[in-house]
Amino acid sequence: MSQPLKTQPPPAPEPEPEAYVAKIDRRTALAWVGVVGAATAVGAGVVVYGPKMGGQRVTHGYGTDPKLTKPEKAPWSRIMIPAQLQTAAILADFILPASGSAPSASSLGVPDFIDEWVSAPYPDQLKDRPVILNGLNALSGKVLKVAAAERAAALTALPAAADAATRAFWKKFRHLTIGAYYTTEAGFKDIGYIGNVPRTSDPGPSAEVKAALEAAFKKLGL
Amino acid sequence: MASQSYDAIIVGSGAGGGMSAYHLAKSGLKVLMLEAGRNYDPRVETPMFNINADAPLRGVGTPDKPFGFYDATVDGGWQVPNEPYTVAEGSEPFTWWRPRMLGGRTNHWGRIALRFGPLDFKPRSRDGLGYDWPITYDELAPWYDRTEKLIGVSGAYPPQNLLNTPDSPPGCLMEAAPPRAFEIFYGRAFKAMGIPVIPMHGAVVSGKMEGRNTCLFATPCGRGCAIGANFQSTTVLLPPAMATGNLTIRTNALVYQVDLDKAGKATGVSFVDRKTGEHHSVTAKSVVLAAGSGETARILLNSKSSKFPDGLCNTHGMVGRYLMDSVGLGVSGQFPALEGLPPTNDDGQGTQHTYIPWWGYEKQKELGFPRGYHIEIGGGRHMPSMGMAGLLRDDEASVGDDLRAKLRNKFGSTIGFDGRGEMIPNDDCYCELDPKVKDKWGIPVLRFHWKWGESETNQAAHMVKTFLAVIDRLGGKPLGHVETDGKKAISKGGEMIHEIGTARMGHNDTDSVVNQFGQSWAVPNLFVMDGAVMVSSPDKNPTLSILALAWRSADNLVTLARQGAL
Repeated sequence: MSQPLKTQPPPAPEPEPEAYVAKIDRRTALAWVGVVGAATAVGAGVVVYGPKMGGQRVTHGYGTDPKLTKPEKAPWSRIMIPAQLQTAAILADFILPASGSAPSASSLGVPDFIDEWVSAPYPDQLKDRPVILNGLNALSGKVLKVAAAERAAALTALPAAADAATRAFWKKFRHLTIGAYYTTEAGFKDIGYIGNVPRTSDPGPSAEVKAALEAAFKKLGL
Repeated sequence: MASQSYDAIIVGSGAGGGMSAYHLAKSGLKVLMLEAGRNYDPRVETPMFNINADAPLRGVGTPDKPFGFYDATVDGGWQVPNEPYTVAEGSEPFTWWRPRMLGGRTNHWGRIALRFGPLDFKPRSRDGLGYDWPITYDELAPWYDRTEKLIGVSGAYPPQNLLNTPDSPPGCLMEAAPPRAFEIFYGRAFKAMGIPVIPMHGAVVSGKMEGRNTCLFATPCGRGCAIGANFQSTTVLLPPAMATGNLTIRTNALVYQVDLDKAGKATGVSFVDRKTGEHHSVTAKSVVLAAGSGETARILLNSKSSKFPDGLCNTHGMVGRYLMDSVGLGVSGQFPALEGLPPTNDDGQGTQHTYIPWWGYEKQKELGFPRGYHIEIGGGRHMPSMGMAGLLRDDEASVGDDLRAKLRNKFGSTIGFDGRGEMIPNDDCYCELDPKVKDKWGIPVLRFHWKWGESETNQAAHMVKTFLAVIDRLGGKPLGHVETDGKKAISKGGEMIHEIGTARMGHNDTDSVVNQFGQSWAVPNLFVMDGAVMVSSPDKNPTLSILALAWRSADNLVTLARQGAL
C-alpha cells in the first residue's frame, strides 16, 4: 500500500498544511491563470486585479430577478490569486479547524467563498475587497512556505496586531469565515440549528427548555 | 384584449388590486387587471427550504436584492431599474420600496395582520390631531371578519378587551402558534412591567382551513410560500378570481394615465408595455386604481386635461397630500439567560407568535407624545446567516474549539425589539410630479417631501427607552451602538414600507379625493382601492385594512354596476 520514501522526511513540529484545492469550475481556474500571468509580467510581489488575459472579466451582479429556487453560481469573475487563496485557507482553518465530526473551514470551501465575496461588484463587498486582499498579501509571506512554528506564531499574533489595518483585516476575515461556515449544513449541525424541516404543527418549546427558562426567571426575579 | 368589453380595469395586483379583482370577478363583472411587473407564480418560484450556502454571497442583501437573495421581491427594492423617483431638496430622507411582479408587495410582506381600532378611525375627535375617517370601526368590522376568514389569519385567543386593540369575533382566526422560548422569556419581563403580551395576528394558515394548506412551520414567509399557506395575492386572491373566467391579467403594463371622455367620465387607461416600450389604451366602464399609494397618486397627477390641468381629482390640490408611513426603529439585545438552552426548532409560523400592542392610550399626555406604537419582537434559533459573528463581543478573538463553543452557547440568545408607531399626517409630507425627471418612457416621476414631526420623534425616543428597559430587566446588554435621540433613531420616511395617504377618503371634495367607498369625487366611475385612501396611519400594519377596505369598496362598485350607475 504505502509508497517507499526516497528520503526520510525531516522531523517537523507540525505537519505542513495541505495545499488548498479550490472548489471551482474550469472557467474560474482559467481566469486565475490569466491574472497570474499578468502579475508575473509586471514583476514579483505586484498583484494585478485587472482583466484576465485573453478574455473579459465579468463584473456585473446577479441582477434584480435572479432564479431563486436553484440559484446559479454568482456571475462575477473571481479575482483572488493562488497565493491569496492558499493564505485564506490557512487562516480560515486557524479560525475553524476540523474538530471531532465538525469539518474544517477550508473543507467547506470557505476560501472560495471569501474569493466570491471580495470579487463581488456590490458596495459592501467592494469596501471589504482591499481590506481582505491587502491583509492576505501581508500575511502570505508569513504563512506560506515557512516553518510550522513561524506560521503558528504569525497566526497567533494576528488578533493582537498593533496596526489598525491588520486588526481590521483579522476582524473582517473572521466575520466572513464564521458566517460562511455556519450557513452550511455542517455549520447547522455544529451550532445546533435543527430547523428548516417541514412539520405538521409547532409544538412549542420542550419541558426541558421551559424548566431552564423558569430557572433563569428565578435568578432575574421575574 | 381589445375585443373584450370590460366592466372594470384594475391597476395593480397587490392587496388592494387583488382583493378588488377577487370580489368583482366573483360577482360576475368582467375585469382586466394591469400589473406593471412581470408574471409571478409562487408555486414554482419560491425558494422553500433553500439554505444560505446555496445563494450568492450566502444570501446577504445587495442593491440587486436589498432584503436578501431569497426575498420574494422581483425587479425592485428601494430602486427600480428605469423608474426613478426623487426627493426634494431640503427634505428629510424618503425611500420607496417597489417590486415589479404580479401580487406586488403581498409576496414578501411580514404577514402581520392587525385590525385598526375604533380610536384609529376618529383620531381628531380623540385628541384634536390629524383627521377623522368618514367611517367608523364598526362599519369596517364586518369586512375585517370576512377578510380574516378568506385570507387565513392565526392568533385566536380569549377576548382581551384591550383599548383600541380589537378582538376578532369567534370563528375569524385560527389558533395561535405557541410562544417560543424567547417569546416566553420577553413576555415575562413585559408583564412584570405591566405591559400586556398577546398573540400576534399573522396571515398564516396555522391550523386546518378549507381549501388551503397548513403552514409547515419552517422556511421564512418573506420568500413567499409555494404551498400558499400564508397570504399572498398570487396564491389566495388571483387564482380563484381567474377561475371565474371573468378576470384577464396583463403583466408588464405600466399604467400612467386615466383616460376621460368629453363628459368627464373615465373611459379606461393608457399604459406602456415595459418590455416593448409600446403604448396602449384600453377601455372599460370603470377604473380602479390600486397601484400603491405612490404610483396611484402619480397616475392621477399625470392624468392632465383641460378640466384637470393639475392632474385628475386634484382640483383642490389634495392628490399626493397626507402621505404617511409608520414610525419605526429597532434595538437588539443579547441575553446570558438564554445561553446554552437545549437545541429547539424555533422556525415557527413566519410571523411572530406574540407581540406587544400599544399600552399607553390613557397616558399619552404624561408620555409627551400623542400616539402609540406596538412592538414586534424577533429572536430564537433561526437559520444561521452571514451575521453569525455578531453573536460575539466586539473585542472577542477566540478561534477553534473555544470559538465553536462560544457560538453554540450564544446561538439563539439575541432578541430584536422593533417598534411600529402611528404618524400624524402633516403638511410637509407629500409627493408631487418632479418638474424635470422622467422615467425611461418619458413619464414624469414622483418627487417626495418628508419631515417627521415631534409627535413621531418623541415617540421614537420612547421606543428606545422602553427597549433598553426591557433588555435591562432581562439581564441583557444592547448590541451595537444605541441611538437614544429620537430625531436620529427614527426610520427614514417610507422605510417601513407602510406609505399610505395621497388620495384619502373623506366627506366631500374639498377635504378628500375619494368618498368612503374609494369612489372619486371628481370622476364617478373612477375608484381608488389601495392604501392611498387612508386618512390616518395607525401603528397597526396597513395590509389587513387595505384588504378590508378594498373588499368593502369593491362591493359598492358591484352595487353601482348592477344599478347601471357606471
